[in-house]
Amino acid sequence: METKKKSSLLPNASSRAMHKSVSGLHPVSQGSRHMLSFTGSHSRRSSIMAGGSSRKHRILEKTTEQAPRKVKVLDDHGHDVAPQQVNEAEPGDMKAKPDRIILDEIFSSSGSDHFKSTSSFSVHAFSSIWSSTLPSSQSTSASLTEDCYSKRDIPINPPASSDVPRKGDNVKHVVTEEMLDEEVYVCLSETEIISLLEIPCTFTSEDADDAEAMKEKNTQYAELCRNRMGNDKYVERSMQTSNGTTKKIRIQTDKVEMVDEGTMASIWDIHDSFCVQNETQKKEKADNIETAVNTIKGHEKRSEKSSSSSTVCTGSTVSSALELEMSENSSNTEANSQLILLSETFEKSLLVMERIVLTNVFQPRLAAYRQLPILEDPDSTVKPGIEEQSDRGSSSSPTLERLWAFSCELTRGHNITCMAWNKDNQDILAVGYGDCDPETQTPGLICCWSLKNPTWPERVFQCKCSVTSLDFSANNPGQLAVGMLDGTLAIYNVQRRNITCITDSSECHKKHLHPVWQVSWTKQEMALSGEDRVEALVAVSADGRVTKWLLSSNGLDCIDLMKLKKSQTLKKKAVENKKKPERIISAMTPGFCVDFHPIDSSIYLAGTSECLIHKCSVSNSQNVLLTYKKHFCPVNHVEWSPFSPDVFLSCSSDWTIQLWKQDCSDPVMSFKSTQRTVSTVRWSPNSSTVFAAINGEMVEIWDLNLNIMLPTVVHRAAAAVTSLLFASGTDCVLVGDTEGEVTVYQLKNLGVGRDKQVESLEDIISFVVSK
Amino acid sequence: MAEVEETLKRIQSQKGVQGIIIVNSEGIPVKTTLDNASTVQYAGLIHQLVMKARSTVRDIDPQNDLTFLRIRSKKNEIMIAPDKDYFLIVIQNPSD
Repeated sequence: METKKKSSLLPNASSRAMHKSVSGLHPVSQGSRHMLSFTGSHSRRSSIMAGGSSRKHRILEKTTEQAPRKVKVLDDHGHDVAPQQVNEAEPGDMKAKPDRIILDEIFSSSGSDHFKSTSSFSVHAFSSIWSSTLPSSQSTSASLTEDCYSKRDIPINPPASSDVPRKGDNVKHVVTEEMLDEEVYVCLSETEIISLLEIPCTFTSEDADDAEAMKEKNTQYAELCRNRMGNDKYVERSMQTSNGTTKKIRIQTDKVEMVDEGTMASIWDIHDSFCVQNETQKKEKADNIETAVNTIKGHEKRSEKSSSSSTVCTGSTVSSALELEMSENSSNTEANSQLILLSETFEKSLLVMERIVLTNVFQPRLAAYRQLPILEDPDSTVKPGIEEQSDRGSSSSPTLERLWAFSCELTRGHNITCMAWNKDNQDILAVGYGDCDPETQTPGLICCWSLKNPTWPERVFQCKCSVTSLDFSANNPGQLAVGMLDGTLAIYNVQRRNITCITDSSECHKKHLHPVWQVSWTKQEMALSGEDRVEALVAVSADGRVTKWLLSSNGLDCIDLMKLKKSQTLKKKAVENKKKPERIISAMTPGFCVDFHPIDSSIYLAGTSECLIHKCSVSNSQNVLLTYKKHFCPVNHVEWSPFSPDVFLSCSSDWTIQLWKQDCSDPVMSFKSTQRTVSTVRWSPNSSTVFAAINGEMVEIWDLNLNIMLPTVVHRAAAAVTSLLFASGTDCVLVGDTEGEVTVYQLKNLGVGRDKQVESLEDIISFVVSK
Repeated sequence: MAEVEETLKRIQSQKGVQGIIIVNSEGIPVKTTLDNASTVQYAGLIHQLVMKARSTVRDIDPQNDLTFLRIRSKKNEIMIAPDKDYFLIVIQNPSD
């Protein structure tokens, strides 16, 4: 091996390099042996190279020693002009020298410089490069060298030798003042040159000393090669390796499904996504981590279930909450339908739908009520000719035209006792049903009807006792005060779907024990701290007391405003009869009606079964202010005129209606048209001279402008009429009868026949009085 | 639940009402009083129309939303109460 090396001058650097690398892998002990030989060849070559570069210098042969690392270049004068290392030697390097010997011998180059590291990486790398390829041309070897050189540039990690930690340890010494003042001797010395790569030249110059020897060697080698063919020394052998049979492996995968998905981002879509994103962000902030994890898990499960298909969706798919909803809907249709039907929005939709369907049906009539033009259905199949005839048939005199009736199966057959409009929403009407006969204990019914739905009440409530009077509160429009036949006074809240009883008077010890004939909410005079005037609930009952009810923490509590006592004359008679027990028992007379003055709410009228009307004051609970005596039967209803503050009407079972002025104890006018009990009389809210009265089956409309002796309109209802109510804002009258129907009539042509100017009530009264 | 059923019955019994259809959000009829063929036809067609109407309203103002839709035709009137989860469709001929 050695001889080959020495004799060869052929540019077979690769083979030489191979040998080098092979030897490089040898263990240290062997390396030392080879080291010697290497050194020799190494130094010679380096000397040759140096000689090639500058002929001035004569290079001495290196001796085979332990440390012939340094390349000594001597000039003619014998000075060592070997190029010095750039880097200064570090103190720890001296010790590491034995480790580095191998590398130095293997890698040698003329311009080797400051690589101190002895990474085995580079050793193996070079060996791998040289062993793997067998280039036969110099160019490739040159490229190899380039690679090797380039490898040099790679920063190699410093060896994990004992040097480095030790250096680190030194830093942590405490520096004292004395130490700073010490003189420190620093020795600088050059480290040995580490040669990483040396690819010696394969040429020698003619002038070299051993050129002759080289030539000899070369010729010997050439001869050897020539003789090789038939020479016994050389045996050529070839081997055949078996190539493994190739095998084809096929893999089948699922087809990658491509899904086309398109979305139209419309303006509202973007808006929705944004809103939902905000909501989910808020939710996530508020939620626990656990619940967030749960939703994510649920979402994952559902996304697995959903099938992939090509869709163009116009909905947003931002939040997982939305997707959850959608997948939830798709999973179970039956449960889904139940969900829909039970949802609140569905109920609302149904409500609205019902009303709309009904407006289609009732449109003409509702329009007439609201004094809107009746829309002709252009596609109606009903011939308009018939309608015109009926129109022509009716006279142009004032009449009551029946519009519709509030009735349904629930209410059929019940007797209507009272009706009241809602103070806030003029479309809502509360109707009380019940028998007025104290003997029969039929349960009462309260229905809240809406004008928008004449076929079914909005609210239905069953009371345990017959309802005798109703009134809506003005301050709290959802509160309805109900007076019942057994004397109970209750306040209901009708706003919710289920009417709830806020409170009733059954626990009050001062409650009425007799039928409550009228309840009324009144506003008190005193306005407390600028708020709405406090409302007081006043009830008049058959036990003769006019009570004011207050809502306290325990329920309703009442104070007596007035005790309707029997008049003096009757009392005296009783005294004469000396029937003391009677006197005590019947000291009070049942009151049937009460009405507060519209302006001065401390004054009120009370009509009694004693045929008297008392004008009382809230502040005076002992005495009445004035008594009006005319009727000779129980007074059924009193009402102040909404237009003239001093005028009020009263009706009684003595078939008469009386018109009174406040300060006069005798009636100004009296009206008698029938021979039946007049159960109710009401002023019209629209016209000051119009009022309505009911008796038996007849509804009478009086217009004092036209006729003060006879009613202007007399209408016969289908059944006995029990209650009457005017509708504000429109000239309609509501009439409740014993069959449970509330019929809505429209006053038509009321202005017809007024040849003279419309006179106010005052003028009429003064006219009459003056007579 | 009973109230809902009652209300539906009442609507059905009103004058001129030809049919009531309740459709869920995917266009599948959930409850109907008409025959199957008509129901499916109504549901499919009205679904598209309501989507278009709703998107029209919301494109103009995203904070607005469609609450009710009425289509008056020569022969009858179709009233639709749309919602996120369902449509309520009532067909009525008021002059009957």
